[in-house]
Amino acid sequence: MTAAQPFSVRVREIVELAPSLKRFSFEPVHGGVFPTPPAGGHVLLTLRDGARVMKNAYSLVSPPSERARYDIIVRLVAQSRGGSSYLHRRVAPGDVLEMANPVSLFSLISTAKKHLLIGGGIGITPMLSFLPELKARGARFELHQLATLEEVPVFERLLAPYAAGEEIRVHGGGRAAFDLAGLLSRQPLGTHVYVCGPHSLMDAVASTAAALGWPKTKVHKESFGGDVTGLPFRAVLRKSGIEVEVGESQSLLEAIEAAGVDAPCLCRGGACGQCATPLVEGEAEHRDDFLSAEEKAAGTLIMTCVSRARGPRIVIDL
Amino acid sequence: MSDQGIKSRPTYAPLAPDPSGRHHLLVVEAAEVPAEALAEGISPSAFEVWTVARRSAVPSVPAMEEAPGSVATFRSVTHLFSALEERLARETMGLRLYAAGAEPFLWDVWGRAQKAGLSRQETAFAEAGPKARRVYCVHCRTMSEGITTSIFTCPGCGASLFVRDHFSRRLAAFMAVQVDAEVPGEVPDAEELYA
Repeated sequence: MTAAQPFSVRVREIVELAPSLKRFSFEPVHGGVFPTPPAGGHVLLTLRDGARVMKNAYSLVSPPSERARYDIIVRLVAQSRGGSSYLHRRVAPGDVLEMANPVSLFSLISTAKKHLLIGGGIGITPMLSFLPELKARGARFELHQLATLEEVPVFERLLAPYAAGEEIRVHGGGRAAFDLAGLLSRQPLGTHVYVCGPHSLMDAVASTAAALGWPKTKVHKESFGGDVTGLPFRAVLRKSGIEVEVGESQSLLEAIEAAGVDAPCLCRGGACGQCATPLVEGEAEHRDDFLSAEEKAAGTLIMTCVSRARGPRIVIDL
Repeated sequence: MSDQGIKSRPTYAPLAPDPSGRHHLLVVEAAEVPAEALAEGISPSAFEVWTVARRSAVPSVPAMEEAPGSVATFRSVTHLFSALEERLARETMGLRLYAAGAEPFLWDVWGRAQKAGLSRQETAFAEAGPKARRVYCVHCRTMSEGITTSIFTCPGCGASLFVRDHFSRRLAAFMAVQVDAEVPGEVPDAEELYA
């Protein structure tokens, strides 16, 4: 399965929240309303910067009940491969972009007794979609947002609409001052934890929770995919009978798409497993969160959206 | 007449503490931990153990010790369940709950565990004791305890019921259906099957 056909959206408003954070609001080009998005869902934006085509996933931050507009918040990253920089510097209100229907790989668990949300930096975005849903359900929850000291007020403003009477805290004192083990050890039975942010934070939550006896099924991570750049390499697409050069700042999936091959994909962040492709020759540098350690060691599959070749050449069955 | 072949029956295995857990609570339907309920080499002292004495005079537990090796004795299963509900309501993530006893007891424990938010990954059950069945009449919803025969008369509606192998985890009971629905009065002989 590949995400559904994209549709056109118009940029209705751009708000600068902080020097590196902008909120983009989109509306349907032809009027009407968008489909109801899932809480914690993300959309795929197709960004055309000259000949370069980027498809980036962004979590929706507007409430799931809001269908007149879809909002995303984008961080301008210093080492951006182009997506965030293109949105921050080139996109203006009134512009028309291509978007795919929202999907969610980060769902609220309906049987949870309590929801513990942990966001790191821009990882606040799916939490902003969860909060109105949790409020509407009358669910028990607690949110901890980690931020740099300068951005604490920004995140506090974003969370303010949901903060009344709730356990919502923004931590600006750095990771060391955040008592993750204490937080995870005092959660009641039936709690599910959801974390979105840098890989180091998600790994810390997963390993601390495991050490405290949390089952894996109650720990949920939303991956942004992280860094997909690396040394250039050549990928041979055996079924298609072509070879593609994968540049330093390009993902294998982007190179395959640039060559006109319709490759399977969904989240484009190494989380969903949709793009898993048999690896026939060569070694992969695995960067996804989908394959298990054993599957990565076996070396028979590669996730084209985030993983690269370890060496000059690989052959894949595509 | 028997419909063996139902593949949804729960299966059980002898218990051992799950190394990924932080607290290990074992509830037992009997006065002692049945030896067959524990995996080879595992001692009851690996768990905090709750047992049922089935008598009124039990040692009082002033401040319940919640540690491996401690044993608390309850007067009845009802008494134990009441304490279990209270305990689960104030427990934190990391608990593993184990149960040893007859099938209806195990799934009564599961019902309380699930209500408290535990998942199957956080629980483990070992079957021990009599195989007599708790049976649910699908027609009038009456529960019957201790059924040992293939066919019996429902104390609720008087129907002659055939005890199926279909086990409901939610109800902690086997489903039973009227055996003479096609030809009223044609009731086969009951066989003693579940002792």
